[in-house]
Amino acid sequence: MTDDMHKYMVTVNWKHGQIGNLIIDGKPKVEISTPSEFDGPEGIISPEDLFVASATSCLMTTFVTFTTKMRFDFKSFSCEGHGTLERVDKGFQFTKLLLKTKVEVDSEDLKSKAERALELAGKYCLVTNSMKCPTEHVNEVVVG
Amino acid sequence: MSEDPKLFPVKLVWTGGKSGNLTVDGKVAIKTGVPSGGPEEARFHSPEDLFVASAAMCYMNGFVEFTRKMRIEFKSFECDAIGTLEEVGRSLEVTKIEMTAKVGIGSEDNRRKIERALELAAKYCFIGNSMKCPVSHETNIVVE
Repeated sequence: MTDDMHKYMVTVNWKHGQIGNLIIDGKPKVEISTPSEFDGPEGIISPEDLFVASATSCLMTTFVTFTTKMRFDFKSFSCEGHGTLERVDKGFQFTKLLLKTKVEVDSEDLKSKAERALELAGKYCLVTNSMKCPTEHVNEVVVG
Repeated sequence: MSEDPKLFPVKLVWTGGKSGNLTVDGKVAIKTGVPSGGPEEARFHSPEDLFVASAAMCYMNGFVEFTRKMRIEFKSFECDAIGTLEEVGRSLEVTKIEMTAKVGIGSEDNRRKIERALELAAKYCFIGNSMKCPVSHETNIVVE
């Protein structure tokens, strides 16, 4: 496998009812189910949760990569992802994704760098680039 | 189930390096990381893992749902999914997901119905339909 291609293998194993396990080699097992919005049990991670989650985690790792390239530090990063699932022609689909990101930096002069790193992270986020729906970014950089 | 859009909020908080803590209200937290982030971070789920996993989980949930509607039973369900990440233009994208599902059934009588449930699950997979890349499904039904 070259640098230009990576493969990711995951397994889901049905347990009972609407519940299964997500298994990825060398990583913690995650219990999964149909979301409660579609008559699944409460309190268990659903594919819809993970779809939105994959976008937030990709934005974060891409942001960290750009801060490293741009050689600056930040104090905290948090991102809320809001995915909207709507009925379209062929059943339900995610029609939009809103990513609200808050980054804390030490001083005023780092603000514009952090803003730029967030912009680039949004542009090069491979997960949102792999989704059909548009992604809206609301970024906030504060000196903390 | 109403026709209103359904929202899926998640929150991700950076915990150092390229790791974060992913939370969905009322559900277990998932730690995220990347393979290049050192032995500790490599143990956590990467954005690519979560993206591919969301498609595989949705396929399983759809299958379970269709077996209920068709009033058929199965003994086991297991699905391996392989996502391929490649350079597209100037950034990376997941360009395909290949699923291989194995369903265990009690007797030959249900084989055709199970095949149909698998077909419908693939066709109406919300998550797969929200992704740009093609998703292929190989299926294997065995009498256990």
